[in-house]
Amino acid sequence: MMIKRPFFWMIVATVAVFAIAPLVGGIGVRESLFLAAIYMILALNLNFMIGYTGYVNFGSIVFFGLGGTLGIFAITVWGWPLWAALIGAGVVVAGLALLLGLGILRLRGAYFALATIGVVEATKAFVSNFDPFGGSTGMYISFSAYKPLGGAREALWVAYFLLVAVLGISLLLSFWIKRSRFGLGLFAIREDEDAAMVLGVKAPLFKAIIYSVSSVLPAIAGVLFFFKNGVIQPEQAFDLTLSIEAIVMLMLGGQGTVIGAALGGFAYEQFRGYLLTSSTFSSFHLVIAGALLLLIVLFAPGGLIGWAHERWAITRKVLE
Amino acid sequence: MNRLALSLLVSASLVSAPAMTYAKDIVIGFTTSETGKLNADSAPQMQGFELWRDQVNAKGGIKVGGDKYPVKFVKYDDQSTSGRVQQLYVRLVTQDNADFLFSPYSSGLTATAAIISEQYGKVMITTGAAEGKTYELGNQHLFQTYTPANLYLASALDAVKAKAPKSKIALIYENGGFAKAVATGAKAYADKLGLNVVIDEAYDASTTDFSPILNKVVSSGADVLIGGGHFADGSTLARQLREQNMKLKMISLLVAPDVPKFAGLGSAAYGVSVPSQWESDASYTPDFGPTAAQFTKDYENRFHVHPGYHAAGGYASGLILQHAIEQAGSLDTDKVTAQLNKMDATTFYGHIRFANDESRHGLQVGHDMVLAQWQKKGGELEKEVVWPEAAGTAPLMFPISQ
Repeated sequence: MMIKRPFFWMIVATVAVFAIAPLVGGIGVRESLFLAAIYMILALNLNFMIGYTGYVNFGSIVFFGLGGTLGIFAITVWGWPLWAALIGAGVVVAGLALLLGLGILRLRGAYFALATIGVVEATKAFVSNFDPFGGSTGMYISFSAYKPLGGAREALWVAYFLLVAVLGISLLLSFWIKRSRFGLGLFAIREDEDAAMVLGVKAPLFKAIIYSVSSVLPAIAGVLFFFKNGVIQPEQAFDLTLSIEAIVMLMLGGQGTVIGAALGGFAYEQFRGYLLTSSTFSSFHLVIAGALLLLIVLFAPGGLIGWAHERWAITRKVLE
Repeated sequence: MNRLALSLLVSASLVSAPAMTYAKDIVIGFTTSETGKLNADSAPQMQGFELWRDQVNAKGGIKVGGDKYPVKFVKYDDQSTSGRVQQLYVRLVTQDNADFLFSPYSSGLTATAAIISEQYGKVMITTGAAEGKTYELGNQHLFQTYTPANLYLASALDAVKAKAPKSKIALIYENGGFAKAVATGAKAYADKLGLNVVIDEAYDASTTDFSPILNKVVSSGADVLIGGGHFADGSTLARQLREQNMKLKMISLLVAPDVPKFAGLGSAAYGVSVPSQWESDASYTPDFGPTAAQFTKDYENRFHVHPGYHAAGGYASGLILQHAIEQAGSLDTDKVTAQLNKMDATTFYGHIRFANDESRHGLQVGHDMVLAQWQKKGGELEKEVVWPEAAGTAPLMFPISQ
């Protein structure tokens, strides 16, 4: 079923490009694509909440930060291998998110959005004061932690390829949920939650499940990011700005669509990266970025994909 | 008029373009926080780098063997966050062909950049990064300019030990990476000296009302308060200490009292001391480079502000690298590393020596902090160097007179 759709093969091609491009282009390309993949994973998983279910989650970064904190703790303090830390962080964060989701998803609209910000701040405050996690100074990864993977140079490549795998899973998961009965339930909640419940959609359960699902892959991406980063501090891990940037990526690409979330994340990274290193724009990169994003929101509120869908029938058929 | 200026500019760039590529440049790469919350601290460090570069290039460049190579900077904005730091440092090494690296500002960003300098085997002189942990992870190419965070309050505690070893000390600090590392080190150092720490308490960076904490200080009977964090919290803490009329013999806070506008607190600033990496009236006799007075004058002429230790650290980083390159007579990383490893010299910024053992390579072990105190000179508030006594410009006022 999924395999017969052209979009499935587009996902395969995207992952292949991510895997091969740095081998050809070198480490400079890898660094750019690493960050792009992180952004895409954040945007794709946030899309489950905002695009599919219609709940604006301002605090999606908490999964990324908490996953990173737990994973790096397991690696540096308990000496776990990377793969075990990835799985462990994913499982624990998903469990916590499920419990949390059953609680805060009773809230709707602006109240939910505010609660998600509260979750980020509370988690950050907890980690900052919890000494086993290094408190506010954070945790530093010894270069020796990279040894089992063949040294820092090789470990960074391993982290990259694992991240590409996480990106691939994010894309497939987005595609699968969108086409599934479960996904249909989510869309119903997005359009009218009360009507959906009347029709038999178990809204509270659906919402908690999707909240939990949207937490797993960002948590794993967080471990990989901070493993490569070499240090994790609460200030960096629970950075509300990145949460809001993820929403911007979604709006840029087109919320509710798989390709839009992915494209938004990718385009945003490339765009900011270009401005930052361009000799012409680097001294006022924030001004340009802000102005362009404003224009997009004003004139293409559906994002790049929404804009394309309005014009061409073929994109509506092929792009999910 | 505009057209004339433009044509002049174009012709100037045409004339100077071949000259710039005439000799090989020494390319030094780094990121600075041009935007974001670290900007205020990062900017003076950047000015220190620039002043050093321009003075070197005015003399034709760094002497390598028989030739002189001018210094060229390649820098990017890291936006005060670690997200892009590794990407930018990889770019500096692979695309911009940086020969050497400077660190970003702050311990967190430096630790992130260090992974890349280590991966590519590039020398990175770190400045504005006091946290010592980065140097204990098994690096070979990092060299720290700052005294490590755990020794920040050592001079203040030495002073307490000398003046009143029976004092009860309250350790009140911001719950942030830097201040926490300082406080942990200070607690350990106080225990080593046999001093009595009666309160050890962290506060949130955004705290605006310190009265619950100050009540605890009063009830503990503490007569010395050390700690603080950054400017906003530190100056608020100092003001509230004054408002509550706390009878403390000594108040020593991080960072905030070193900022010139701290004097604007008036009587609340009086008697408050600050540990500092460097003060402009410190009187070291340099083995190479300018004296502190010369540096201060040049800096003021160029930027029209008085240099603090961020600026001095930036300039000193360049100076240290330059000396190592000249001694090595080569741009080869291994030869320069070897020179840095055995460096044991005094500059305007103080003594410089790097730890060589594998467990903490590159940690700064030669440089001492000084303690400066706001005192009154002819009715005006003036910051005086008070500790160590030998380097001081005035005696430490202890206890603070009311």
